[in-house]
Amino acid sequence: MNYELSMYPEQIAIIRLYGELGHHETEKIRAQISKTILQGHVTTLIWNLAGLQFMDSSGIGLILGRMRELSIVGGQIIILNPSSTMQKIFQFSGLAQYIMHADEQAAISHIRGIVHG
Amino acid sequence: MDNEMTLSFIAKSENESLARMAVMSFIAQLDPTVDELSELKTIISEAVSNAIIHGYEEDGKSVVTVRATLIGHTIQVSIQDYGKGIGDVAQAMEPLFTTKAALERSGMGFTIMESFADELVVQSVEGEGTSVTFTKKISSAHASVM
Repeated sequence: MNYELSMYPEQIAIIRLYGELGHHETEKIRAQISKTILQGHVTTLIWNLAGLQFMDSSGIGLILGRMRELSIVGGQIIILNPSSTMQKIFQFSGLAQYIMHADEQAAISHIRGIVHG
Repeated sequence: MDNEMTLSFIAKSENESLARMAVMSFIAQLDPTVDELSELKTIISEAVSNAIIHGYEEDGKSVVTVRATLIGHTIQVSIQDYGKGIGDVAQAMEPLFTTKAALERSGMGFTIMESFADELVVQSVEGEGTSVTFTKKISSAHASVM
């Protein structure tokens, strides 16, 4: 499990996840991601899953937990490029509405479109 | 093709990926599709994580056993722990129900397992342990190769 966290202007953070995300891996990365959100001025979190090979319901817990932290500032999330199995897991969990199949630039433009009307 | 494997390991979260990998290697002989593989892997991951987290509270010493059997093109897998058990299995299987919200467990594990398996049976006795047994038929996209 590996991840990269990039900050963009206008309070956008992109998290790129790689490898496998289960319970063990989630426990290792949660605190750092959470700290970035709570210390900064992040209002949008983009989860780029293009490089993620596997995810179970631990990923749902991780994303829902960060949504709760973002809700304090009226923030939002985008889930980019999940695999077909992950997409099903998001559907079961009521998160399908946040999925986009696009590159990061398109996701950022989408967010700015919303922000600026 | 009939075959069988058993894997036992202690309740440490590091062993979740071991269990996933072992069953993935075992099923490779049936030449499953990418979706079949990843759905099977997800079921294993959910059941093994439950045994480690809920059955044994990650005690690092109690043993989880994964037993997989191939009968024709169907895999049957049983994940067994002898931990604290589930008092109300029906309630535990409801979507979003979790006893560990503080640990950010989503409560979606059983829903995912039921959706991705063809058949799923959960047996549990409080104080004695839990077994999750499921079957999944593998389509074997390239079954005619051999």
